[in-house]
Amino acid sequence: MRLRRSRGILAVAAAVALLAAACGGEEQPRQEGQDGDLSGGALRIQMESFVFECNFDPTCEFVSYALMMQTNSFLRPLMNYRHVADDPGLEILPDLAADMPEISEDGLTYTFTLKDGVMFGPPVNREITSQDVAYAFQRMASQQQGNPYTYYYEGVVEGFELQKSPAEDIEISGIETPDDKTISITLANAVPDILFRLAMPATAPIPQEVASCFPQSGEYGRFVISSGAYMFEGSEDLDISSCESMEPIAGYEPDRTLNLVRNPNYDPATDNPEMRSNNPDRFELSVNTNVDDIFNKIVAGEADSSPDDPPAKFLRQFADDRERLPINPVDVLWYIGMNLTQAPFDDIHVRKAVNLAIDKDGLLRAAGGSLVGGVATHILPPTMGGPEAEDYDPYATSGFAGDADLAKEEMAQSAYDTDGDGICDAPECSGILHISRNEAPWTEFNPIIEDNLEAIGIELETREIEGGVAYELVSTTSENVPIASHAGWGKDWPDASTFFEALFTSGAIQAGAGVNNNVGLVGITSEINEERELGIEGNLGDIPSVDVHIEECIAMELGQARIDCFNEVDRTLMEEVVPYVPYRWDLESHLISENIAKWEFDQNAGEMSFAHIAVAS
Amino acid sequence: MTQIAADPIAPEPHAPDFDAVPGAQVKGRSPWQLFWSRFRKDRVALVGLAFLALLVLIALTAPLIADLVGHDPNDRFQREMTDEFGLPKGPNGEFWFGADQVGRDVFVRVAYGARTSLMVALFATGVALGIGTVLGMVAGYRGGWVDTAVSRTVDIILSMPVLLFAIGIVAACSTTAEGCLGGLVKPGLPLVVFVISVFSWPYVARIVRGQTLSIREKEFIEASRSMGAGGGRIMFREVLPNLMAPIIVYGTLLIPTNVLFEASLSFLGLGVPQQIPSWGRMIADGGALFDVAWWLMLFPGLFLLATTLAFNLVGDGLRDALDPRTQA
Repeated sequence: MRLRRSRGILAVAAAVALLAAACGGEEQPRQEGQDGDLSGGALRIQMESFVFECNFDPTCEFVSYALMMQTNSFLRPLMNYRHVADDPGLEILPDLAADMPEISEDGLTYTFTLKDGVMFGPPVNREITSQDVAYAFQRMASQQQGNPYTYYYEGVVEGFELQKSPAEDIEISGIETPDDKTISITLANAVPDILFRLAMPATAPIPQEVASCFPQSGEYGRFVISSGAYMFEGSEDLDISSCESMEPIAGYEPDRTLNLVRNPNYDPATDNPEMRSNNPDRFELSVNTNVDDIFNKIVAGEADSSPDDPPAKFLRQFADDRERLPINPVDVLWYIGMNLTQAPFDDIHVRKAVNLAIDKDGLLRAAGGSLVGGVATHILPPTMGGPEAEDYDPYATSGFAGDADLAKEEMAQSAYDTDGDGICDAPECSGILHISRNEAPWTEFNPIIEDNLEAIGIELETREIEGGVAYELVSTTSENVPIASHAGWGKDWPDASTFFEALFTSGAIQAGAGVNNNVGLVGITSEINEERELGIEGNLGDIPSVDVHIEECIAMELGQARIDCFNEVDRTLMEEVVPYVPYRWDLESHLISENIAKWEFDQNAGEMSFAHIAVAS
Repeated sequence: MTQIAADPIAPEPHAPDFDAVPGAQVKGRSPWQLFWSRFRKDRVALVGLAFLALLVLIALTAPLIADLVGHDPNDRFQREMTDEFGLPKGPNGEFWFGADQVGRDVFVRVAYGARTSLMVALFATGVALGIGTVLGMVAGYRGGWVDTAVSRTVDIILSMPVLLFAIGIVAACSTTAEGCLGGLVKPGLPLVVFVISVFSWPYVARIVRGQTLSIREKEFIEASRSMGAGGGRIMFREVLPNLMAPIIVYGTLLIPTNVLFEASLSFLGLGVPQQIPSWGRMIADGGALFDVAWWLMLFPGLFLLATTLAFNLVGDGLRDALDPRTQA
């Protein structure tokens, strides 16, 4: 998941670890009375922008806040989580499925029985069937969608292949629906984390009668039909008699407002109260481009929370108040990504020099200091990689401040430094497009990054643009962006594979706007470029690949050996591929209003938990 | 007649000098002396001029100032001048105007900001004056379709929503390194100067055209024509010198508008790149922290205010001094 918030501890002092431990499972004081008293009210959320990179269309939407909303309140995939903090929030449980699946003897076929009485919301108003789940997979396989999830299922689910046909015409041999309540999924080979993959909101049931009218990525986002406890406000007014008659549902106005109200067809008896409390009557999201105003409103009680990081002055104001400023650890990495096909980053010495030059401590300070996270020294956050990985720092510099001398030594080995003095001086060293974001703290990162790289002769042309636009731009292969610092990445589910498959396998590289998360283009070849019509223009020779290594790790059973395997991939990437400068592992801090009667955090999504939060009413 | 035609400052007959010592012989003064004695009496304009002189000095010696203080404008002193939350610290003995969010010296950046403001405003105004004068003069003198074409162009540009246009252009042209039109349009200093010039020349053209229309009817112009001078020669040798007064005055009054224009563009993030200090950008970046770091907005804001005010005062003073119909 691409996240705006992230987590990570490591290099930060014990104080933070203490904070994290204290915050972890702590519940906010409840109101007197039983759970019923927490029910009702409206949760008002303001954000600087929705940052939805696929317009909330579950088949392609990648942004963590959207994923949280969809898994918590809107949709019900076969499997799901409890949406609470820490380890209990990372356990996989059946949601649409009545129970854990039956697994065949060879371990390759998973058969699920759907619960009774789970219905699509208005205006579809019918019971969900296994064909609706199969259809979700068909939509992911349809190339009209330009879908970033394909690699999670290609080569995993038998017969799942990206095809140019419309979803309705696609047949996936590994998915069978013998009757309305049964679905069996056959894997191409053993994939130990398959249940996690079946908890992605993209696999949640989709009504074909509505979605078939919207084959392009993102189009369905304004028409999403609920399978969960809440729906878009105004869903009942959608006229589904024909494709032409469907008007976008009023409750979601892109870049402006998004309102969720209760789905009248939702039956709590079909649900697990550990997974969903469904307290508020309404969720009201709105865009407020003035971040300062958002948090002033939260302090004043005119808004309740925001997914945006609180600006430093609010962190300072509430530094000791864990009730108004809860802090949760989360698995997120913020990084600077370099495109291995674009000069001068097609030279590993340059990429290593960049790693040595960047003042990571400065970037952390500019972002708000230790309350927002710790310096990242490699890719996999230590919360996922375990204690062995904690001290690994292949580009160590004193105080994490970067070291121009060390960087120059590395640069001197590059052909782009024609006179070997440690300063990049070839023509490719200047005028390099650098994509960043036009909000704090990126506006404070840019002086640091530009300065650090200027010291080794790399002159950037920084463009500060809006977050969603930045993601779309950099994640489009044909744009050939050489370097970008706008992005963060969080796990898609509680397994290290989610930090590697989407980011570093050649299989993940897809054509289309905003769908490629392997922005370094690790593993790319000219054959792949032509075959998938990626539009890459650059140096495609000898790009290193970690495909085989990652595949090996993915095939391993869940457990320490699997984690060790991924730690090794991390090392290989950091030392032999060097696609990133990782700079921060996040702590997730939220500023919440006094209206919030109960705070809860969704550990899997890395965001506030819509499923359990409660507002005073 | 000859004297008046050659006199670039005051095309009208001079008023008698009432300051001459009574009884002394009346000495003829040159037009410049007359202008200066009138200007000199405008105390407020003199203060403005003094400030501008100081500003030019600061702008010219900014690197020297940086050397003396010991901080370059882009040197970051994060560990010394920002707290553990990344919030900047205020004015102290070493950082007279405090520091910004990445620990840069605000005093030095304000000094360099003077360069940016003056350079951009003067250059863009110069270009606008050049284009506006030529087009306005040709339109006023020639009349006919030339006048129509220029006047309609002026009308169109003056009715455009300038900032919206600027926002649109920069947004559209900032997603690739080359920008638009094969590298001609991309965020940065040249674009700022271009945008300001394009939207400023119509003001000049209008005024110049008006003045040209009245000058062209004068007898000395007719005399030149009857002596066989061609249109171009008349425009540049006879009309233009008589335009100098209004050009100087309006140019001076246009500069503060353009200083603010550059500041606005920078405020919106459309101006010069962040390594080049700009008062507008400093004000924008400081806005969110106004309640915890007042120095970020106050100092660039004060300088911007003072500069704009000084130019306006000087411009008013020039206009009063150059136009003999007003009593000094």
